Amino acid sequence: MRSPQTRSPGEKRFGVGRVVAFAVLALMAAGWLMPFLWAVATAFKTEPDAATESGWVGDDGLTTEAFRAMLSNGNVWIWALNSLWTSLVITVLTVTISALAAYAFSRLRFPGRRWLFAVIVAAIIIPPQVLIIPLFYEMLTFNLIDTPWGLILPQIVAPAMVFILKQFFDGVPVELEEAARVDGANRLRVFWSIVLPLSRPIMAAVAIFVFINAWNNFLWPFLVINDTHLMTLPIGLETVIDAHGIQYAQTMAQAVLASLPLIVVFLFFQRQIIRGVATTGFGGR
Amino acid sequence: MTAATETRVARVATRPSSATATRAGRERLVSWAFLAPFLVAFALFLVWPLVHGLYLSFTNQSLTGAGGSWVGLENYREALTDATMWRALRTTVWFTVVSTIPLVLIALVMALLVHRGLPGQWLWRLSFFMPFLLASTVISQIWVWIFNPDIGAANSVIGAFGIEPIAWLQDPDTNLYAIVIATVWWTVGFNFLLYLAALQNIPDQLYEAAALDGAGPWRRLTSITLPQLWPATILIVMLQILASLKLFDQAYQMLIGVSTDTTRPIVQYIYEAGFVGYRFGYSSAISYVFFALIIIVGVFQMTAMNRRRSLS
Amino acid sequence: MARRSTMLSRRGLLTGAAAIGGTAALSGGLSACGAASATDPDQIQFWTLLSGGDGGTMADMIAKATGSGAAYDVKTTTLVWGEPYYTKLAMAATGGRPPELAIMHASRVPGYVPGGLLDSWDVSRLEELGVSQDDFPEDVWRKGMVGENVYAVALDAHPTVMMFNPEICDKAGVLDSDGKLRATESPEEFVDLVSQVGGVTKGSPPLSYGYLGDGSQMFRLFYTFYTQHGAAMTFPQGGRAEIDDDIAVASLQLMQRLLDGKLALQRNDYAAALAEFATGRSGMLFTGVWELRSVKEAGVPFDMTTIPTLFGTPATYADSHAFVLPHQSEVDEHRRDLTYQFVADLLKGSYDWATAGHIPAYLPVTESPDYAKLMPQSNYAQAVQQVNYDPAAWFTGSGSNFHAGFGNAVQPALMTGKDAAGAVDAFRTRINGLLKTQNPVDPDGTWTS
Repeated sequence: MRSPQTRSPGEKRFGVGRVVAFAVLALMAAGWLMPFLWAVATAFKTEPDAATESGWVGDDGLTTEAFRAMLSNGNVWIWALNSLWTSLVITVLTVTISALAAYAFSRLRFPGRRWLFAVIVAAIIIPPQVLIIPLFYEMLTFNLIDTPWGLILPQIVAPAMVFILKQFFDGVPVELEEAARVDGANRLRVFWSIVLPLSRPIMAAVAIFVFINAWNNFLWPFLVINDTHLMTLPIGLETVIDAHGIQYAQTMAQAVLASLPLIVVFLFFQRQIIRGVATTGFGGR
Repeated sequence: MTAATETRVARVATRPSSATATRAGRERLVSWAFLAPFLVAFALFLVWPLVHGLYLSFTNQSLTGAGGSWVGLENYREALTDATMWRALRTTVWFTVVSTIPLVLIALVMALLVHRGLPGQWLWRLSFFMPFLLASTVISQIWVWIFNPDIGAANSVIGAFGIEPIAWLQDPDTNLYAIVIATVWWTVGFNFLLYLAALQNIPDQLYEAAALDGAGPWRRLTSITLPQLWPATILIVMLQILASLKLFDQAYQMLIGVSTDTTRPIVQYIYEAGFVGYRFGYSSAISYVFFALIIIVGVFQMTAMNRRRSLS
Repeated sequence: MARRSTMLSRRGLLTGAAAIGGTAALSGGLSACGAASATDPDQIQFWTLLSGGDGGTMADMIAKATGSGAAYDVKTTTLVWGEPYYTKLAMAATGGRPPELAIMHASRVPGYVPGGLLDSWDVSRLEELGVSQDDFPEDVWRKGMVGENVYAVALDAHPTVMMFNPEICDKAGVLDSDGKLRATESPEEFVDLVSQVGGVTKGSPPLSYGYLGDGSQMFRLFYTFYTQHGAAMTFPQGGRAEIDDDIAVASLQLMQRLLDGKLALQRNDYAAALAEFATGRSGMLFTGVWELRSVKEAGVPFDMTTIPTLFGTPATYADSHAFVLPHQSEVDEHRRDLTYQFVADLLKGSYDWATAGHIPAYLPVTESPDYAKLMPQSNYAQAVQQVNYDPAAWFTGSGSNFHAGFGNAVQPALMTGKDAAGAVDAFRTRINGLLKTQNPVDPDGTWTS
């Protein structure tokens, strides 16, 4: 990805157009940041302040009361941990099986290769929402309702990622691999030590995309998990409530906490994530 | 196309000697080994559910495990005469229309502005894309809070313009639009990034040539940038339509406890029929009606795109 | 180049291995910790849909029960009220690993039982712990039965009531010498009374009633007026709904008449209506007994009474919170024993539950002298003698789609003040559609009690 052009050619450095554009951009950015900042501001209020119409800072000033109340309730920690490890497992499994399959489609010759690939590409259009009933039924049969595997396994099939990786592998020159093959390396070794290193950017892109989706996925975890010990953050925040009723500051503190990991990751890996979305985004979401 | 030529070359190459024949045999084995993990998962968690779901749609299967008798086309007959289902379809399509337009246009404006290279690049990108990183649950909680009719920020904002407070999410006349607002805020960053990537792929030479011809910024926008973005726009619109048709999370979460027919998207009806109403059979039938809609839209988009491609 | 890439790959391998290892360790650690809490032999998992004042009260009662050297420990999980709760409960029971104990609305029990989602209570085991049929109002106990078996043991009855602000009502001159609201026996008298209160509240309407998007709230008031006509509403499976159209229209029309923008806001939601009353802007409020605590905490002067009998027959819409045993594929007898003890302890301690506004179902509590002194609770205690639950059918009950469907049929009429008859027609059409369908938890109708 090239860095954005600093100026359209021929444009003055401080032209009226630039100033107007800057103003519009700043206004839009403020508009887009505002809702989240408002949530953050609310999270730092006392409950009585949060429950009345008040400005950015409540009458009682700033406080971390809501955060402390939330963290002393052990559930949030368990949910965050569940979100983290299930998302990691989903990412590792998805990337692994998709990359292996994509490599086979790109490099290996076997009967039925074309129609099998066509079937997988066609499957990209299947909305996961269509499958919730039979998948739930299947998990019942396998006795996987309310288990981590029931949550993870149905999320590791990503035909779009096979497609994207295959496209990428197609563009990688085969000469390096052939040289290694002549030296007697087997396919798996070639894949591992030659193809994978060359594919790091695309693998990172796919992994990031899969991780974001897994971390935020709602519908399937919502259906398959009822046990509060096994819930992920989005499910826990949605289904379990405080016995003492809706507490706005605490709710917003939870929302902020649940978003923090991905925002931090974004700040560190902005470039990779943007490239990731740009390359995998067209594969659908 | 490249794949096809490669196969032909491969076929020619593997024909004669027995040594290459065993090599081909080994390669076949290796191929299946590479494919097996994905194919097993693909078969278990995608193909089988798809087939079994179709079967379930002809039965009266219940969530509880009871039922399961064959009922023929009864579920489909019921679905096609079910006013609630039609209304859910209408809601979904209407949401798709009113959400896709701003989601594409605002993303385009954002990308055009950011692409000018004004200072603060990371801040712009962070502001516009960050909401996309949030879980639906989180955005729902934030927007329910903002749309709170008594103490919400939304009513304070419109109050500053002298507009009466609105019960955004409770009023059936406004709640779908409240969902649209939240959705635009949430997901526009995704389209913004796609546009940004497309903008960066426009060759500089085009602009340089235009500058030599003395074209002003407006000319450059209308005669180079926008036409060059057209293929990306088509793709973004297509993806957005498919994404909007799948509306569920935020509508369900923001309108929990608000019982109204006017804002139930079709995916929510699938969920409700199956899990709230325990009717797996009927819910499967609605799933397939929805699937048909997706396929029709998809095929329509494909043909539209192909026709364009063959025209140009 | 080649050298560099092997190095990279080695590092990649290491990080990859570390990631997988770390994940495995995490997952191992996590399942171990999950298992630890699940295998605590004395811990009962308890699901409720009670939040706000109710949730706080229940938490206190549980703390009291477990604090006094009880054999059991209780882990309470509170889920979002209504459809999300019932959906989760059914899915957990289907999955075979549900909580040991849950609270359900008694009105939902008939729809759940045929799917095998609930285990029945062993009455003799309850009697050993001092809980028997004689300890409950007959209607309330019977509501927990399906066929011969008891599936739900009621904790309370919680009717819809009327709150009023004695200061405002006194100024309006509608209180009698005891400080009670003047009795009204017809819609006309009631409308007069409300408009008299309106003379005091001036700027804002005197009566608060929020219903927008809330089918349950609409049905509660409607069904109170409907049953006050002495009429019944029956939903025979496979037949047609028996609804008295004239009475239904009259009941709706009274609601429309009240929602004229002067007596009560025409478009108001539940929370806003509650806030109106709790901040002293209005003089009266139609709501459930469960709001007692939040109104009390708001500090506004208030009293409570049953909704006046405007059509001849004393009747009030109500439901009960009841204890149920979600069906377990493998019952742990020790935990089940503890569950029985826990329920008996909660029932005996349900005087505290009255502080949240509900009328305890356990008669030894409500017949105690302490309860008679409890104000304003004892002012509406007679409501328990005139309760009307949802018409029995697989699709009815609190938080059900039936309420949502009623709301969808009726809300336009309430919002516009027009076409009450059309709304009743739409409601009937919905019900007839549902009656044609078998109970989806038992689609072949093979279940027998």
